Amino acid sequence: MKKSLGVVLAVAWGMTLSSPAAADLRVFACEPEWAALARDVGGEKIKAFSATHKMQDPHHIRARPSLIAQIRRADLVFCSGADLEVGWLPLLMQRGARSGVQPTTTGYLMAADHVPVLEKPTVLDRSLGDLHPGGNPHVHLDPRNLAILANELSRRLIQIDPPNTDYYRKRLEVFQREWQSAMDSWQSRVTKLAGLPVIVHHKSYTYLINWIGLKEVTTLEVKPGIPPTASHLSGLLQTARSEKVKAILRTPYDPADASRWLSSKTGVVALTLPYTVDKNAPPGALANLFDRTITLLEQVHAGP
Amino acid sequence: MTTKLIRPMAAIVIAASLAMAPQAMAADAAAMQKLLQEVQALKKSYETRTADLEKKLKQLKASQTKKSAKATARSGSGRDIKDNSFNPSIGVILNGRAASFSRGTSEIPGFGVGEEGERGSEGLSLGESELNFSANVDDKFYGSLTAAIVREDGEDKIELEEAYIQTLPGAALPDGARAKAGRAFWTFGYLNEHHSHSDDFADRPLTNRVYLNGSFNDDGAEFSYVLPTDIYAEIGGGVFRGDDFPGGGSVSGLGSWSAFARTGGDIGDNQSWRLGVYTLRSDANSRQSNEETVTFVGESNLYATDVRYTMAPTGNARDQELIFQAELMYRDDDGTYNDTNAGTGTLSYDESSFGWYAQATYKFAPAWRVGARYARLHAADTPAGFADSALDSQGHDPETYSLMGDWTNSEFGRFRLQYNRENLDNGKADNQFIFQYIMSIGAHGAHAY
Repeated sequence: MKKSLGVVLAVAWGMTLSSPAAADLRVFACEPEWAALARDVGGEKIKAFSATHKMQDPHHIRARPSLIAQIRRADLVFCSGADLEVGWLPLLMQRGARSGVQPTTTGYLMAADHVPVLEKPTVLDRSLGDLHPGGNPHVHLDPRNLAILANELSRRLIQIDPPNTDYYRKRLEVFQREWQSAMDSWQSRVTKLAGLPVIVHHKSYTYLINWIGLKEVTTLEVKPGIPPTASHLSGLLQTARSEKVKAILRTPYDPADASRWLSSKTGVVALTLPYTVDKNAPPGALANLFDRTITLLEQVHAGP
Repeated sequence: MTTKLIRPMAAIVIAASLAMAPQAMAADAAAMQKLLQEVQALKKSYETRTADLEKKLKQLKASQTKKSAKATARSGSGRDIKDNSFNPSIGVILNGRAASFSRGTSEIPGFGVGEEGERGSEGLSLGESELNFSANVDDKFYGSLTAAIVREDGEDKIELEEAYIQTLPGAALPDGARAKAGRAFWTFGYLNEHHSHSDDFADRPLTNRVYLNGSFNDDGAEFSYVLPTDIYAEIGGGVFRGDDFPGGGSVSGLGSWSAFARTGGDIGDNQSWRLGVYTLRSDANSRQSNEETVTFVGESNLYATDVRYTMAPTGNARDQELIFQAELMYRDDDGTYNDTNAGTGTLSYDESSFGWYAQATYKFAPAWRVGARYARLHAADTPAGFADSALDSQGHDPETYSLMGDWTNSEFGRFRLQYNRENLDNGKADNQFIFQYIMSIGAHGAHAY
């Protein structure tokens, strides 16, 4: 008698756990850009949470309690991948113990798995800096990648939430139409920028540079993830002049001192590009990100 | 091979399109024009694709040659991170120190302190060199083994710190649930779960030294469950053999159990906190302390609470961060104590004591941190019969003040200098300087919050 009651209780407990809690599909995005894309593509059917904000370097995030709670209830984990989040995401996945978002499941979407990845290293050693064996993970700054990922994301949302298939399809169609026309207009603007020589702090803008065709002369960091040193920077003085560098680019989370120093010595503009959007950005924020970025580069190109 | 196939296919498609063209001409010249354009486009696209494929094939061939050349070259060359994707992954912690103490001996009267609770050795020494092997066993389990090689009494000994298996998410357990079995640093307060190499100070605070003999890593099993709530909430508990301090000399093989609850969250974008309550209850058949001169038999119940708060001004803990952390532990011993050194005989004992520590560390530059810690124990009353024994605190509450500064070259290497002022025994202050390095090679898992 007691035993059967125990079984009933256990089954009831199991059922409460497996029943869908809310109508909203929960998207756990590692970075704000993926939360923004999820809002663009998923519309009102999803609730996107970004684990980081735009001033944070996504390489180094603490696996803090709030993130465990978020991943515990997530239906989809959407991150850059290519080991960008290797320092914290696996730990969250393990602690949050959510079965539907583990690697190889539909609920696990890594951007770098679906777009052409640049800068895959052929030799790996910690003495060469913090290299990502999977290649450069900052894939969102090429708008063509976002178009690919919107398709993939929509496909995943439909798989996870089939009753809303029509909604997701329509939403994707609208997004892709608008995105395509935005890309056409950006394309016509950036052709003028091709070949513009720039120095970057970290290799955060590789995809943007590759898309526009800017010329990345060198990085302020000695090696990826290894902060600029005085000797490395003074070596760059000559490079900046001989290569006629037009801008020193950094993200909002890169320390400003190195690019300011080089700028003051060479007169080259030190420019902070947005890199990503606000963590709670409304739909449409990604398009604004590219508009803003291109405008800033156009100003550099036009000169003072 | 692929190229050879595609070329004739493209030719067939183009020929077929051309064959259909005359019919279209009869209908409309404009349509014909359009069709021709389409055919042209089709032809062009196939040509491009064929060219692309040829190019890819060439690249593939070239890269294969390169790869085999590299594979030959690599054997014997430098370290390759890819080697970390060995199964199991292997990690090593190298740890060395130099210490100077102003007093020859260090006792904590009134508590019954185990071997790991004593201060470290003076002069130059290796700390705990750790060797870790870990990997997913299969789709359902993860396994990890950590052995520490330590020098004790002039001999290098291997201490098995951890050897456990753990369920992976989706391993038949409900979401949020985890089970772990074997030997591990079990959940009890903040520090106990962590390996000492990740500590912010060179030594553990008095609470962990005295009440947990450094750390509680008995043989046993633990279950935990993260609640499906907006705010982080986790509950759990475990059962243990009862051989490790605060248990000891287990006869039944099931002498200790634990329970805990934790919650935590964020304050704005750049601050986080966590709060926990814990209990660890042991039935000690024979708990040895003070170099095996003091024996406790009976129930020893521990209660603890911990709090941790972190604040990174820009959100980037790697650049700047303030961490505040405190733990409070309360112990209730109900049974008998026997101090053979003082010749007390076996006397009944029912007293409680508590201790706490609070520490703050501040990272003011990416490589530099400073920290301060205060720890204090509140000794139990000394029952009649224990006067002048190891359990007689002489009315003194031990306390320590610590200051540390460390320099972190990369996340894999750190140097630390620490100063301690310990007033453990009445009127006998011990000034300590400790210099240490902690380095890690090979695979190294991420640290929990």
